[in-house]
Amino acid sequence: MKGIFSVLVENQAGVLSKTAGLFARRGYNIDSLAVGETDNHEISNMTIVSTGDARVIDQIEKQLNKKVDVIKVRRLKELQSVCRELLMMKVSYNNTTRKDIMEVCMIMNAKVSHVSTKSMIIELNASPDIIESFIKIIQPFGIIEMARTGVIALQKDE
Amino acid sequence: MTGADAMVKCLEAQGIDVVFGYPGVAIAPFYNSLYDSKIQSILVRQEQNGGHAASGYARVTRKPAVCIATSGPGATNLITGIATAYADSIPMVAITGQVSTRLLGKDVFQEADITGACEPFVKYSYLVKNVEDIPRVFKEAFYIASTGRQGPVLIDVPIDIQKQEFEYEEPGEVSIRGYKPKVKGHIVQIKKVVEAIQKAKKPLICAGGGVVLGHAEPVIQEFCEKYSIPVVTTMMGVGSMPKRHPLFFGMLGTNGKPYANRAVAESDLLIIVGARVNDRSIGALSKLEQDRLIIHIDIDTAEIGKNIGPTIPLVGDARLIFESLMEYDIHVSFEDWVERLRNIKVNCVDYRTFHEGFINPCLFVEHLTERMDEDAIYVADVGQNQLWSADNYVMKKGRFLTTGGFGTMGYAIPAAIGAKMAAPHRQVVAVCGDGSFQMSMNELATMLQNHIKVKIIIMKNMYLGLVREYQYNNYDKNYIAVELGDIPNLKKIAEAYDMEYFHLRNMSKMDETIEAFLACDNSALFVCHVYKFDKVKE
Repeated sequence: MKGIFSVLVENQAGVLSKTAGLFARRGYNIDSLAVGETDNHEISNMTIVSTGDARVIDQIEKQLNKKVDVIKVRRLKELQSVCRELLMMKVSYNNTTRKDIMEVCMIMNAKVSHVSTKSMIIELNASPDIIESFIKIIQPFGIIEMARTGVIALQKDE
Repeated sequence: MTGADAMVKCLEAQGIDVVFGYPGVAIAPFYNSLYDSKIQSILVRQEQNGGHAASGYARVTRKPAVCIATSGPGATNLITGIATAYADSIPMVAITGQVSTRLLGKDVFQEADITGACEPFVKYSYLVKNVEDIPRVFKEAFYIASTGRQGPVLIDVPIDIQKQEFEYEEPGEVSIRGYKPKVKGHIVQIKKVVEAIQKAKKPLICAGGGVVLGHAEPVIQEFCEKYSIPVVTTMMGVGSMPKRHPLFFGMLGTNGKPYANRAVAESDLLIIVGARVNDRSIGALSKLEQDRLIIHIDIDTAEIGKNIGPTIPLVGDARLIFESLMEYDIHVSFEDWVERLRNIKVNCVDYRTFHEGFINPCLFVEHLTERMDEDAIYVADVGQNQLWSADNYVMKKGRFLTTGGFGTMGYAIPAAIGAKMAAPHRQVVAVCGDGSFQMSMNELATMLQNHIKVKIIIMKNMYLGLVREYQYNNYDKNYIAVELGDIPNLKKIAEAYDMEYFHLRNMSKMDETIEAFLACDNSALFVCHVYKFDKVKE
């Protein structure tokens, strides 16, 4: 199963490595990890996505809670949260493919941020499953390079 | 004052009266400030032993103890001491010197990223980069080490920070937003425990190290007596119950008493208190969860459900939880169940073997501990000696210290030094094998220099016995790298370190030799000859 953890941590040197180290040491997977300051500059928010069986996901939450630098751990449910990820990719094009690529971008709400004579940089801000399908669709056109931020998420209020 | 002065002042404020350590350039300012303090400095002969000595001291005083090392190799030598304390949940504050802040990360002489290296083995660590932080950091470190599930905290202080002058300000109350240990058990869960006991026919308490660390032995004993609930222990829990108590049924696990394991197997309600449920004890008994209710009481939330899925989880301090449980009146009677266990115990076969010219180690531990003072402290090392000790130790009102969590060879002598420093008037006996003795025999000098009168027993079989036993069982008796030979000459070692010397080969002389050994005023070395092929499990 998938576990999405929203973790508030002290914004201090070494906290990221301590948290990531915990995953490595205990053999937990990190599917993605995104970290940034919150509105309080002393606190950072880490969004960690992991997979494992129920006991593992449960242990991750407990082990994170045990860390002194961890202020709060929340386990987010995908349907009850807004999950977003930013994707950037450089795609090669020619006169025949350009139009098709643009069309896909339009349908999926992706934005072309830069164009050169041979390639364009596309950005897409969407939920992880849309990002995945966008990559699949663009793949045949020739992805030169690609970067993803990893998921960040917030829980919806009732 | 300087940062180093502040470090010493902080230790004094915590009531620290002794530190175990080994100096070096990077920690020199701290030692210089220690010169004018009332805090006693014990120079160990290797940093790792400073960690173990602090562990022994902390276990006896039940307060965090302090060990010191310099930067680089000093600090890395200390790691095993820290990791041992971590696995055994011992409150400890380790202080290391570090190279100057402006040189950090430049791989200069004697630099090691010790906070990074120790991350998996510490409860928390600090690298102090501002001298003004020292008062707060030290106060927090002692707080973190001694609350919740106890453990080691590391403070790494660069030499320039130690030398820097600053205006000392008293630290405020400790407030760490990410650290609020839960000690009181949840009332709903406590009521569930009461109900479970009410419904049970064959309940059993399994006491782990958390019982001893949380000083919950008296209240758990009271609780068991109130309802006639039998008790077994893990290795770290040895000492939770007096050996001769009618409700005590020994240590469980692969190296424990068969009747203790039978008790677990036949129980319908297992109450695990302060135990990790590791592979050597309860984890070895498979399918435990299927056939019985399991209540797991632990101060560390993360231990619950890690290795065994409990029916009723209960997070909190063992002592407080059992105090709450004592407030209920449960109408139950388990006399039949206890009677059954007594029958099993009586009918268990005595597997002890005897060899002419050698001492049976199980019988030896029993006779020794029966003759020790009521409140004596017994420190067991690691190996066959540890298993013979844990299994046969006669608990009265004393303490049984061993590293059941980490299993660090060479633990007993330095830990005994720490224990003796903490309780100078109590009898302290360290029991080693001839392998583990040689791992920390350098500390005999520390004992002699500081008049620390520890009594040491060596169960000598000229082998690394437990590894040899493992090779016997699993590698077709291919004994490799386990033979120690009849060296060194232990009598001469005793003489070199000004210790009384005793040795024993003859069972008929066992009691009188033990008595003479315990009676002597000086520190003493007692060589007990064990048959070289004696095994823990026959």
